[in-house]
Amino acid sequence: MTLLGQLRLLWWRKMLETLRAPVWVVMGLTTPLLYLALFAPLLRRLGGGPGFAHGGVLDTFIPGILVLMAFGSGMGAGWIVIDEVRTGVIERLRVTPVSRFALLLGSVLRDVVTFVVPALVVVVVSIPFGYHPHTAGTVLLLVLLCLVVAVTSAWSAALGITLRDIGSLAAVVTGLQLPLTLLSGILLPLSLAPGWLRGLAHVDPLYYAVQASRHLSAGDVADVAVATGFLVIAALAALTLVWATRCYRAATA
Amino acid sequence: MTVGGMSNVLAAKGLRKSFPGRGGPVEAVRGVDLRVRAGEVFGFLGPNGAGKTTTLRMLATLLPIDAGSAHIAGVDVRRDPAEVRRRIGYVGQVGGADLPATGRENLLLQGRLHGASRAAAARRADELVDVLALGEFVDRRAATYSGGQRRRLEVALGLMHSPALLFLDEPTTGLDPQNRANLWDQLRALRARGTTIFLTTHYLEEADALADRLAIIDRGRVVAEGTPAELKRQVGGETVLLRPGPGPTTPDRLRTLLDEQPFVRESRLAGDTLYLTIGDGSRTLPRLLAALAEHQVTLETISLSAPSLDDVFLRTTGRALRDAGTSLAVPAARQEVPA
Repeated sequence: MTLLGQLRLLWWRKMLETLRAPVWVVMGLTTPLLYLALFAPLLRRLGGGPGFAHGGVLDTFIPGILVLMAFGSGMGAGWIVIDEVRTGVIERLRVTPVSRFALLLGSVLRDVVTFVVPALVVVVVSIPFGYHPHTAGTVLLLVLLCLVVAVTSAWSAALGITLRDIGSLAAVVTGLQLPLTLLSGILLPLSLAPGWLRGLAHVDPLYYAVQASRHLSAGDVADVAVATGFLVIAALAALTLVWATRCYRAATA
Repeated sequence: MTVGGMSNVLAAKGLRKSFPGRGGPVEAVRGVDLRVRAGEVFGFLGPNGAGKTTTLRMLATLLPIDAGSAHIAGVDVRRDPAEVRRRIGYVGQVGGADLPATGRENLLLQGRLHGASRAAAARRADELVDVLALGEFVDRRAATYSGGQRRRLEVALGLMHSPALLFLDEPTTGLDPQNRANLWDQLRALRARGTTIFLTTHYLEEADALADRLAIIDRGRVVAEGTPAELKRQVGGETVLLRPGPGPTTPDRLRTLLDEQPFVRESRLAGDTLYLTIGDGSRTLPRLLAALAEHQVTLETISLSAPSLDDVFLRTTGRALRDAGTSLAVPAARQEVPA
């Protein structure tokens, strides 16, 4: 059986799992919509202020929300993997000829799909409220963010399979999630930040994704921030996938 | 694989495994040799912590082998684990059914991941639904199954690709006596269809009921190997239970009479029942019956009971199996099994 064939089977296994637990689909949508409804209005008065150069606040805010969604989409992977280790599913699959990479990627691609669908909903819903996305830019933006999902999903799964303990996984994930989110300038543009904070942001890979996403959403496809964002995230995705595949290979319950 | 053939499906020599522990490495498996023949159920019996599961996990390609060699269906486990995985089925202690999916989806995915076409996987799934009696629940989600149902599904998962050897790690642990007995029946049915099974267990009854041959492992070493009957014969001494019928021979007189026979090692009277310890029962019993006929003794009851595997374990390790493990898991009910 080819890698692609295995991947299709394993991805569909994960999709069925999601489709059968629609509560997660609904939750995936409500969070960004709540941000739009309850947080975006706070930003209205900032329009035209520093950091909101592109005009409407939503044009700054929505790309950030999309990055936040992408960042969160893959984070749950570790919890699911721990459950699969506990119930012996991973072990059973490891005693089949199945590629460990396909095993990992099946769940990564599920997370990608469960990100893209609500992300498109958010984009479309925001347009009547003053969001002006650039079409080609938005397509590229979603591609970039799918890579972000791949990074977080593979990273979380690798941690889950290595730590095997929900408490430790939660500690690591939430411990990193907050600083990475704050430093990335997702909620408010970092141009509002003092110099040292802006400098510190450069160690956060998510910062590059956020920078790239604002430019892409505005249609500045050729901006250097876009190329940098793709470069950083793609390199990180490659590294994480390789590392996570090794974790799957080494895993023993 | 041929049924009843003498070819070895599994041959392992000098298997070793140690794990890092406080105060130096802990040797979990210390030089284990094993042979499993095609068509047989091979039992790997030992207390918890004896090294059963570690050995099995090395053979099933889940743990690297520290030293020694192992071949399964002619393939070197250390050199070509990927090829070994095509030839073995593995059902771990915790199971491995995908709970959000239905039983049938589990089976089809397992078959297809082993390279079967959709149609072939569906056919094989139908077959196993029959053999393991999954029909009632196979189209429900596995999360809703009882322990026994889930275990049957998991055995079926291990068999989807018709492996040369099926590994079962403690297959009935956690099942109630009824489900344990059911699973035993199904495993016997599988053997009758030619499936070769390697199972670990810490239940004497299970090894006795299912295994054609077995190895007893204790502290990382195989301490005895053979058919259950051979092993029990090594212990020497079987017990004959006698109760005289109405007539002139009282239990007391019967005892005096039989104590004179050279094949009786020991006798014990409890109420009107006489217990005799004898050597190999299959040879001695005819002589006993001849002696009884000679003295015209009528009997109400006579039965022969073989020594148990517990006796074997006690003799080879000096400890009772039930006390040897780190956990005191004891089956809830003793099953009556043919010797």
